[in-house]
Amino acid sequence: MKFSRRTRSWLPRSIAFRLIIAVLAVELLSAVLVVALSFGYERHIHFHAFDVMLHGRADSILGAVQDAEDPGDSLMLDQADLHISPEDIYEVRDQAGRVLGRSANWQGTEIAQGSGAEGPPQPWGEILRPTVNGQRYRVLRMRGSRTVDPGEQGGGKQRTVTIIYGAPTYHVWHAIRGAVEFYAAGSIVLLLVTGPLIAWLLHRGLLPLRQLAALAAQVSVDSWQFSPPASARTTPELAPLTQALESVLQRLERSFVQQRAFVSDAAHELKTAVAVQKSSLQLLNMKRRSAQEYQAGLERCLVDSLRLEALVADMLTLARAESPAPEARRQPGADLAACVRQAIAQLETVAALRGVKVSLAQAAEGASISTVQVPIPFGDCTLLISNLLLNALQHSPSASTVELRLMDEAGSVVLVIQDQGDGIPAEALPHVFDRFYRGDPSRGRNTGGTGLGLAISKAIVHKAGGTIEIASQADANLPSQGTTATVRLPVFSSP
Amino acid sequence: MRVLLVEDEVRLAENLAAALRDGPGFAVDWAEDGLAGDEFARQPCYDLIVLDLMLPKLDGLNLLKRLRARRDATPVLILTAKDGADSIIQLLNAGADDYLAKPFDLGELIARAKALIRRGKGAAHPTLNVLDLSVNTLEQTVCRRGVVVDLSPTEYRVLEYLIHRPRVIVSKRELLEHLYDYNWEHHSNVIEVHVSNLRKKLDAAVPDGEPIVETMRGRGYRLAPGLPLDDRPGAEAGAGFNMDRDEGQ
Repeated sequence: MKFSRRTRSWLPRSIAFRLIIAVLAVELLSAVLVVALSFGYERHIHFHAFDVMLHGRADSILGAVQDAEDPGDSLMLDQADLHISPEDIYEVRDQAGRVLGRSANWQGTEIAQGSGAEGPPQPWGEILRPTVNGQRYRVLRMRGSRTVDPGEQGGGKQRTVTIIYGAPTYHVWHAIRGAVEFYAAGSIVLLLVTGPLIAWLLHRGLLPLRQLAALAAQVSVDSWQFSPPASARTTPELAPLTQALESVLQRLERSFVQQRAFVSDAAHELKTAVAVQKSSLQLLNMKRRSAQEYQAGLERCLVDSLRLEALVADMLTLARAESPAPEARRQPGADLAACVRQAIAQLETVAALRGVKVSLAQAAEGASISTVQVPIPFGDCTLLISNLLLNALQHSPSASTVELRLMDEAGSVVLVIQDQGDGIPAEALPHVFDRFYRGDPSRGRNTGGTGLGLAISKAIVHKAGGTIEIASQADANLPSQGTTATVRLPVFSSP
Repeated sequence: MRVLLVEDEVRLAENLAAALRDGPGFAVDWAEDGLAGDEFARQPCYDLIVLDLMLPKLDGLNLLKRLRARRDATPVLILTAKDGADSIIQLLNAGADDYLAKPFDLGELIARAKALIRRGKGAAHPTLNVLDLSVNTLEQTVCRRGVVVDLSPTEYRVLEYLIHRPRVIVSKRELLEHLYDYNWEHHSNVIEVHVSNLRKKLDAAVPDGEPIVETMRGRGYRLAPGLPLDDRPGAEAGAGFNMDRDEGQ
């Protein structure tokens, strides 16, 4: 099967291929997300730590602010005790904006102006991100207060200073990049490892499908054996497919068996008919005979060939009636009552010969039925009725009546043909519509029928979307009720 | 010889019966379905059963199986419309002796029927010889010491039956059963007249010869009473399986 070959050979558009692509795409997306999230998280963590560090250093600078011991109680920055990284910048100003001290590499006066505060306000001050000496810095500006002369009365004087402290951020970014790179590399490795792993797992996971396909591929016209593996039955995804396959195969097999039986039966009937003809001629030719004998023999041969002709005609009619023709239902058809009258007229002589009366009754609202149209061509409709009527006549004792009734039902018309014959045995009833089935085997062939009449009738009715039933009660202990054939046909409604 | 024909196709049965009666002069009984055929076949008077496969009520294969199950060894010739080796193998394995596929040749059917009857009675060759008597079953001619004996059809049929069973006492009833079908009015004195005529004609061919048909009063007839026991045609094959019960009557 195409399908299994595709799953096996990894061709594009195979289910496995598509699933692998989908899974890998999802994995890639999550890898990107992981990298993005880790970047955000790492940045937050690192910069928080950085800010804490800045704050700590700014605090230590605040600690270095001392009383200048001058008359104005001004402050001074004692830079001697400060151990500050040479890259860092700082500046300390007092309330009046006087610079108490700054680092040697201080350049950014605009930072000191306090403009362009960026980022969310921190509890301990503001964060600025200037570029100093071509490097990105992170700068904290905080206010601190020193108490001058705490020993004096009133607790001394409060002096507020502004401390600006910054440090370059490149090593923070370096750390963040390192972490993100780790996550990215991990994701890529994961992708590379899971790709083949998924392929392998999918290959294994699709095993029931391949087994099912392989088993289904073994089914052929000669071998209908299809036993799906248990895995296919228990897999929820495969169970519907398995059931569908099974039922399709069963239906196919049934129709194949029926067709084969029909062909075999038809061959038997045809061969027998040919055997009759051949043997008739050979018998005639076995020895010299008188002219009368030859004439009688030829007449028998003619009768034999008429039977063969009827058989072939019936088989062709059946084949035509059984061939699907969905448009037939939409074609305007025959007037049912006219067909009934035609069939009765055709079989008048048969009825007279057997001494059987044929009566046609219409229901009370018969006036409308007389013009009712059924979606069957006139010829087929007449054939349908005459087949049923002939059947009834052949099973009727003399001086009995075959009754035909036409009735109207919602959207359909019902034709009932009832005889007063012996009925059909219960065991034969299910087979009366079978091809070549003769309800009364011991005399079936004597009546000259081909055994196809009812099969043809059924095919005609089914093609028109109607139903046909034959009911009978044949019980040795009970008086016979005769046989009733009921045909229900849809009424053709003119648009 | 008497043949049972089991065939549901009326016209075919008529033709076959006519051909078997006209050609080799067999008595033919006809059964229309498998059950009737089975009933007929229970009579031990048939030398051959011609059996159609597709029969109403009981099909040919099952009839054959029933037949063989009750140890009936009557030769069976099957008429089949089925093709395929499987079906033929199944038939032969079920105990059929021969088969013909429809539509068959009437001449072939008669030839096979004759051969099966002959084989069933233990004779391989169509010409049967007992002492100085020679019967050609194909041409239906009879010679005694090279002198052609002209027999009526019934006389020939009596001789044909007797020559398959030399030295054996064949009762009048057995002769009747194997030479006439059910449609015949049974009158045992008819047989007596025919046997008497047959004996006269056979003895007239060789004026100095011994009488070849012996009448055992009240028991029946015996062909070639002087024949050594081991010289019977088909003696070793156990001929006459379904006639044994008539012996000694």
